Amino acid sequence: MVPNGPLIHTGKRLSRRTLLRGLGAAIALPALDSMMPAFAAPRASRAPMRLAFVYVPNGIMMPDWTPASDGPLDALLPRTLEPLGQLRQQVTVITGLTQNGGRALGDGAGDHARAAASYLTGVHPRKTAGADIHNGISADQVAALEIGKATRFASLELACEDGRLVGNCDSGYSCAYSNSISWRSDTTPNPPEVNPRVLFERLFGESEPGLRREWRRSVLDLVADDTRNLQQSLGPADRRKLDEYLTGVREIEARIQAAEKQAAQPRILPEFELPEGVPVEFAEHVHLMFDLMTVAFRADLTRIATFMMCREGSNRTYRELGISDPHHGITHHQNDPDLIAKVARINRYHVELFAQFLAQLANTPDGEGSLLDHSAIVYGSGLSDGNRHLHHDLPILLAGRANGVIQPGRHIRYAKNTPMANLFLSLFDPLGVRASSIGDSTGKLDYLVDLG
Amino acid sequence: MRIWTALLCLLAAAPALGASAPPASRSAIQPTSPSEFSVAVQPFLRRHCLGCHNARLKNGGLDFGAYPDAVAALTARPAFERVLDKLKAGEMPPPPIPHPDPKQTAAFTAWFEREFAAMDRRTPVDPGRVTARRLNRAEYDNTIRDLLGADFQMSVNFPADDSGYGFDNNGDVLSLSPVLLEKYLNAAERLSRYVVLSGPPPKATAERYKRERLEHATPREIQFRHVFKYEGEYELRLGLGGSLPVKEGNPESLTICLEMDGRMVSPFTVPTAPDTRRTFSARIPVGLGSHTLRAHFVDPAYQPRTRPGDAERPLLLDHLEIVGPFFRDGKVPVSEAQQRLFVCDQQSAACGRRIVAEFARRAWRRPVSPAEVERLASLIARAQKDGGTFEQGLRLAMQAVLVSPHFLFRIEREPRQRGAVHALSDFELASRLSYFLWSSMPDERLFQLARANTLHQPAILRSEVERMLASPKSVALVDNFAGQWLQLRNLDSAKPDPDRFPDFDEPLRQAMRTETRMFFDAILRENRSLNDFLEARFTFLNARLAKHYGIPGVEGEPFRRVHLETGARGGLLGQAAILTVSSYPTRTSPVIRGKWILENVLGTPPPPPPADVPALDEQGVGTAQSLRKRLEAHRANPVCASCHSRMDPLGFSLENYDAIGRWRMADGKFPIDPSGVLPSGRKFAGPAELRQVLASNPEALARCLAEKLLVYATGRGLEPADRRIVKEIVSATAARQYRFRELIQQVVASPAFLLRRAERSAEWSPTAP
Repeated sequence: MVPNGPLIHTGKRLSRRTLLRGLGAAIALPALDSMMPAFAAPRASRAPMRLAFVYVPNGIMMPDWTPASDGPLDALLPRTLEPLGQLRQQVTVITGLTQNGGRALGDGAGDHARAAASYLTGVHPRKTAGADIHNGISADQVAALEIGKATRFASLELACEDGRLVGNCDSGYSCAYSNSISWRSDTTPNPPEVNPRVLFERLFGESEPGLRREWRRSVLDLVADDTRNLQQSLGPADRRKLDEYLTGVREIEARIQAAEKQAAQPRILPEFELPEGVPVEFAEHVHLMFDLMTVAFRADLTRIATFMMCREGSNRTYRELGISDPHHGITHHQNDPDLIAKVARINRYHVELFAQFLAQLANTPDGEGSLLDHSAIVYGSGLSDGNRHLHHDLPILLAGRANGVIQPGRHIRYAKNTPMANLFLSLFDPLGVRASSIGDSTGKLDYLVDLG
Repeated sequence: MRIWTALLCLLAAAPALGASAPPASRSAIQPTSPSEFSVAVQPFLRRHCLGCHNARLKNGGLDFGAYPDAVAALTARPAFERVLDKLKAGEMPPPPIPHPDPKQTAAFTAWFEREFAAMDRRTPVDPGRVTARRLNRAEYDNTIRDLLGADFQMSVNFPADDSGYGFDNNGDVLSLSPVLLEKYLNAAERLSRYVVLSGPPPKATAERYKRERLEHATPREIQFRHVFKYEGEYELRLGLGGSLPVKEGNPESLTICLEMDGRMVSPFTVPTAPDTRRTFSARIPVGLGSHTLRAHFVDPAYQPRTRPGDAERPLLLDHLEIVGPFFRDGKVPVSEAQQRLFVCDQQSAACGRRIVAEFARRAWRRPVSPAEVERLASLIARAQKDGGTFEQGLRLAMQAVLVSPHFLFRIEREPRQRGAVHALSDFELASRLSYFLWSSMPDERLFQLARANTLHQPAILRSEVERMLASPKSVALVDNFAGQWLQLRNLDSAKPDPDRFPDFDEPLRQAMRTETRMFFDAILRENRSLNDFLEARFTFLNARLAKHYGIPGVEGEPFRRVHLETGARGGLLGQAAILTVSSYPTRTSPVIRGKWILENVLGTPPPPPPADVPALDEQGVGTAQSLRKRLEAHRANPVCASCHSRMDPLGFSLENYDAIGRWRMADGKFPIDPSGVLPSGRKFAGPAELRQVLASNPEALARCLAEKLLVYATGRGLEPADRRIVKEIVSATAARQYRFRELIQQVVASPAFLLRRAERSAEWSPTAP
């Protein structure tokens, strides 16, 4: 796969690590700091808070995940969480959250599709292979709608596995449900970007050099007018399709406006060696996506991101771990100890990759502190026990301090069936998002922000 | 009694036709022989069905006590249509309940069929509702190719399209996220720059593609696409690495072939010894757009392998560098795309309008109004007023055309009244045809027929379909229809375990795909019977695949048609591509293969396993032998049996093929037992007999394919009302020996394809916040 308009032509091949070190320098801080006031005027004294959701599929072997006791995290972490050892004062393990929307509720099979679809929406998705897809708006998008205008990109949606598999995704559910956790509206999933190079060009590339913004806007005005005229002669479903279109136009216009405000800002182009397409090695791919997320947060190109390490129901094989069996297949282990061990190994591997991302955030200075201090990164899965497709006691890990609002280093256990959506509400607060409910939320989580 | 609960999930096995039809209103139903109901139907239901499907058990969601009279039964037509299917297939009532007397069954089904036919005569056919369809990635690329006259493959940057009902061209599922719109905008900007040039000719640059960073690359072969942004000459520089030790048996030189779009650019003879030249170049003229470059060692026996840590590397491909463009006379040559766009060459307002009018007409696939042209052309004036050039203005107008919903969506006029039906306009029909058969826009001939308003005439429509199928563009049916129907696209991501299947490599993957593609294509082009999909005595092989199959006498890399001498292969179910996508990475799965056949050949997909039963665990089963035992145990549980009794025998009959489609007689030390019994009692063993079983019922495959083609052609899921349409398509195809092209003709001629219905209010549930 060869993207058009290559941007980067560094002669020599750099290792990823050199790159990242190079990054700090390449994203010249003066440039960034000079744009901070423009963006974060109301809270100029504080760094902005970033919110990200990192998703892993097929549930997690819970016995190896859940810390034995509540309260401060011991040095002796459960095996799957061990890779977070060094970072244990930066993370909060949360037990007891439920995503009720993922349960069958009379709809029969399809737990994987529902797990992904409900994960950030708190809504029970409509069972359909296509017609009248219906879910809810996701937490990241609620936030993006409100604070997304402050940055060049309202939000980013990333993934490492695209949804081009053919056939039924899950028992009568359209693939849209298991391929995206981010939903722009009840009916529009945000398809994630899989190709790091394309993502990079989106973040740092530029449209036609010298194309005047006002010209671009007149093109958009023209097509938006046409669309509104056209809509009047259409039936409701077609009208809805064109509503999606108009939403997109409005979003791009808002971005042009934001760009005008920062016209004087020098262009940031980090030195970043990227593969021509999607890296062959999974770990390399995941690292690159995390790197790009770090850069986007660091440069305040966006404050909100979602990342599906694999699509829900993924049947990826992990040869690098000596596991040739498909991931989803072996999560239905039926208590075979060998298979359980393999699944746990995959769970741990994902956490290893995630831990490196956290370390990177912790080592990236940001205002008076680190990027991790100013972030809330939620790691988890829409299923707990993948063998039995359970949607309660979800494995949820919250990393970062959310600008000092969260006190990490603890394991908090909530009452059974506490809605996962309550976590979203709690995170909206420090972000400056005023939504008072989302999905099936019943209120904010206690203890989380308790600085006691 | 619990036993029967899930047995009857067979009845819940919703076929492709969903069950959520709005019930026909009672008053509209007038049975022609209501008295027969109490003779042929009611006693039958009471005796053979009511034991499980009653108000208390409601197995499969059915209570046959709820149909006291003919009107009540006919009102529930979708349910009884499925009942008839199950009875005909011999799947109901399930064992051990004895089957009813065939005469009674015949009388039962005959009554319903008579009444259904009478109902159909009285009510107009419902063509269904199609939602405006956004162009998917393949359609976008093909449309740009046919619109501009240059292929750019811009969609590599677009997010993957989600699929619904098995295909990624479903109107309801193809959403448009803000990110995608942004990508459309960027693509339009780029395309307008590629086609409308301005300023001095560009300087040459170099771009290097390194093997280790390319997907699916091996030391002996690299392949990638590159966008050539200018028409001109380019130098292709191939860089090699490593060397071969000078020793006996090693050749003194090897030949590398460099190809563009499958055509040879240049062969290079490469000395294998160290310290010899390692860069080879060729300079060639290249047309504007995206082209595929491939370099590979010609000698199939040369298999360089690299292992990390090896001090010496064998001779291998390292990179390919593209340097250019160069221009002979200092000017950029005129590309096909420019010729097409510039229908006049003055920089006047009048010429600008002509260019824009012609471009918009083709891009929007319909006549454009003077007011629309005026608005688009105003962008040229706008740019010029701001001090921009004519070319810059023209680019803006092009961009506006290419991001307009008129381009990005296929929008059809809505009938004025709710639920009303009207015929598509000829322009709308032209687009339905071209996107069905070509995944692209109509060509000028279709536009002409649409302008003349004759395209819909049956004879013309029929000859156009023939013409379109004969065009090379109909390869889109192979890429997009067959690729999804047969799940061939999944072959790209198939990862057979290298420890168990060391033979599996990129060339084999390619060969598998090529075989099935050429096979599908041959059945289409030669207008063969659908049964050839199942039992053709020919296929397409090259040396690699023939060796894989153990078929002697096929040499070389090119594919050729091969007559199959033995019964070991034949039809799709003996093809490695199909056998691989329906296997696990480590081993075969009779369940997946059986399900594959039910879904894609018989059109009777099994329902998902019931919620309280864990999916059958095949993992941790060492061999097919032990797997068979485990599955038999599984089937002893009637909950599982209802579906596995259909799936497993089909899958086990393919056990002679391993997980990458090689023939085998044993799995480890266990001999393969490919025998099975279908619920109807039919016994068979092995792939040859499976082919016979499947081919003995050509109607099943015809119906399955008709349904899939209809979903693909209309971009919507099927509704109960479509059964009638499918039935007509199948019987008309049967009358012509089940020829494949006839099936396509009948899909095109069906009301679902030619008509459009407005939404009914009932279908529209506003999305409550």
